[in-house]
Amino acid sequence: MGSLIAQIVSVTLMNLGSLRRRLWMSLAMVLASAVVVAILLAFLAMAKGFEETMRGAGSSQIAILMRKSSSSEINSVIQQEQVNLIGESEGITHDSSGPLISPELYVIVDGIKKSTGTEANIPLRGLNKTGMNMRTNMRLVEGRMFTPGTNEMVVGQGVLREFDGFEIGKEVRFGKNLWTVVGVFSTGGNIFESELWADIKIIQSHYNRGNSYQSIRAKLENDGDLGPLKETIEREPRLNLDIQTEQEYFASQGKQLQYIATFGWIISAVMALGALAGALNTMYTSVADRAKEIATLRALGFSNFSAFCGTIAEAMVLAVTGGLLGSLAAFIFFDGLNTSTLGGSFTQVVFSFEMSPDLFLQGAILALVIGFVSGFFPAWRAARMPVIVAFRHAT
Amino acid sequence: MNDLYLIYKNMTRKPLRLFLTCFAIFIAFLIFGAVTSLQYALNSTINLSADNRLVVFNRINFTQSLPLSYYQKAANFEGVKDITHLNWFGGFYQEPSNQIASFAVDPQTYLRVYEEIIIDDQQKQAWFNNRQGALVGEKLAQINGWKVGDRIPISSTIFSHRDGGNTWELVVSGIFRGNTEQYDTRHMVFHYKYFIETQTFGDNWIGWMALTTDDPGLNEKVAKTIDDNFANSQNETDTSTEKAFNKAFIEQIGNIGLIIFSVVFTAFFTILVVVGNTMALAIRERTGEIAVLKTLGFSSPRIFRMVLSESILIALIGGLSGLAAAWMLLEGTKSFFARFLPNLVLDSHIALEALIFMLLLGIITGLLPAFNALRLNIVTAFNRQQ
Repeated sequence: MGSLIAQIVSVTLMNLGSLRRRLWMSLAMVLASAVVVAILLAFLAMAKGFEETMRGAGSSQIAILMRKSSSSEINSVIQQEQVNLIGESEGITHDSSGPLISPELYVIVDGIKKSTGTEANIPLRGLNKTGMNMRTNMRLVEGRMFTPGTNEMVVGQGVLREFDGFEIGKEVRFGKNLWTVVGVFSTGGNIFESELWADIKIIQSHYNRGNSYQSIRAKLENDGDLGPLKETIEREPRLNLDIQTEQEYFASQGKQLQYIATFGWIISAVMALGALAGALNTMYTSVADRAKEIATLRALGFSNFSAFCGTIAEAMVLAVTGGLLGSLAAFIFFDGLNTSTLGGSFTQVVFSFEMSPDLFLQGAILALVIGFVSGFFPAWRAARMPVIVAFRHAT
Repeated sequence: MNDLYLIYKNMTRKPLRLFLTCFAIFIAFLIFGAVTSLQYALNSTINLSADNRLVVFNRINFTQSLPLSYYQKAANFEGVKDITHLNWFGGFYQEPSNQIASFAVDPQTYLRVYEEIIIDDQQKQAWFNNRQGALVGEKLAQINGWKVGDRIPISSTIFSHRDGGNTWELVVSGIFRGNTEQYDTRHMVFHYKYFIETQTFGDNWIGWMALTTDDPGLNEKVAKTIDDNFANSQNETDTSTEKAFNKAFIEQIGNIGLIIFSVVFTAFFTILVVVGNTMALAIRERTGEIAVLKTLGFSSPRIFRMVLSESILIALIGGLSGLAAAWMLLEGTKSFFARFLPNLVLDSHIALEALIFMLLLGIITGLLPAFNALRLNIVTAFNRQQ
């Protein structure tokens, strides 16, 4: 047994040592494997980044209420009366000033995207004081909070990064109204950083919204427990509302770019087939190139199995090297790459590509599969070839 | 023994390698064909808009509304040929996931501004006369199995019906086609009057306006006239050509598309590099044989041609079959994708582009070995072989 392992090790080392003779073919295989892995990772990192941006936004302690079947904030309408009714419901946390509920407005305005120089949709969210207080993960990174009752606003870091003209002190015109940027906030990289925040009363009056809102956020008494609120909604016919936790809401919105991950897997799988063809070519060349060596070893008493394993090992080394290079390239080019796209509410979601360890794992698996398959058949041929034939072919 | 036979023999000496090489090229062009068509399909709406059509939105954003009075005012501006107004209904049929692109419009003017819509005269009149009537695009009707005369309940994710609920009862008055194959007919239109009188958000507001100018050359002037006229009013306007608007809208999806496509094309080229390397190597192996051919009296240019034809032939075999597979794939999945991407076709333009890449692949991989063969000195070649 020990001698078998020793045989395999020495054959593998010999194979690797002779790689220089097949430099170009070997490099081609490394390159092929690298590209397939890099592509897979690029797609997965994009989907992952989007999902994280959405998921990070949702808290299970907060319920979000919108008009029935409106599916996203932009479509929903909520009246003051409904806000009052929800405020009286059981299951909501109270503080000294009353129930912790935040009626919010969500208006879409235009900004100029830095990457394209064209107009794109940004959400302008109207909040009151309670709404601000409920966002516990929000912190100002620069400047100050807007003063209620004025045309002041604070901008998310994502907006500042992707759009022109939202620096502190800048005046921004939306239609007829002039706004002043007084602060920049961070919410830890989630979707709220793609928004502009201002006083809700001002937005209501500028945009002729009267006393209407678009969503209500309520801090739950018990984490994740929507029961009491659901009861209130069922009992009261005026409350034609859908309720879910913020976590559920954003999780479902985060699934939106899932198709990119699927698309990525399909493209990578098809491309892996092409890479496999290239890799098989490399390995068959390798076996043909070493036919004399293999025959010699076999004549010396090395087992078929060690010749087989040596070839597989060579293929695995090449594919994995490619996989590592591909991962590295993907990491350098894509990790943290900022971009933005149209999200569920018809507005820009700013997010970064995210290369997490489990993605690397998926890339590594793909590289190993390519290595194994491309090594297997040539190795089979190497091991099966009768010694005599091998000698004859080699000369 | 003619050249073709020699080329054939050379190509097939290692059938497995030939197969693998062709297969890798096949995959590369399969991806190229499919992905390029996808990219074209995504961009195609831009190219189809009429040159002289402008759209007028609220300056704040296209989701903000405008007063109906703007429509009456704008109709009188110089250079405006026809003008209509539209409201986005946010419709869906039965399931919220089955979204229906639906607009509430002013019937007569809508058909004047959107001239690419072709509709039977009788159906047109029927639509004009039926308050609850709707004009449905051919593809949309096909997807949902609607026929003329069907009553279809369309729900809205945005609006509530005055009588409660958010579903509107509509009747299919007519089914329209586009004047070109590419015109996207996956939408429907119905009466603005019916819509505005039955929804709960107040009266006399419209989503946006679309108009045609007398001449594309007047576009800029007309746009400026409109925007200047409504400047400093409660609702300022933003007028642009429909083309520019569509382009901006697609760009909202952002560089995601750009990133995806550049990644895929990088991959395409890398596969070509990998394959090209194998092909070049296959010829380099044969230095000795080429020396023999030369010894036998084959002229250098003739050998040059043979080597080059071989690599071009391999590139074409793999590439054309890949392109054919891409075409079949797209034709096969066309009906499935029809609702998202109506223009998913591999047209001659893409095929031509692919053909150029195939030739380039063949020429580049064949050229260097062919040159070496051309210049090969018989004596050194035989020496090298030992």
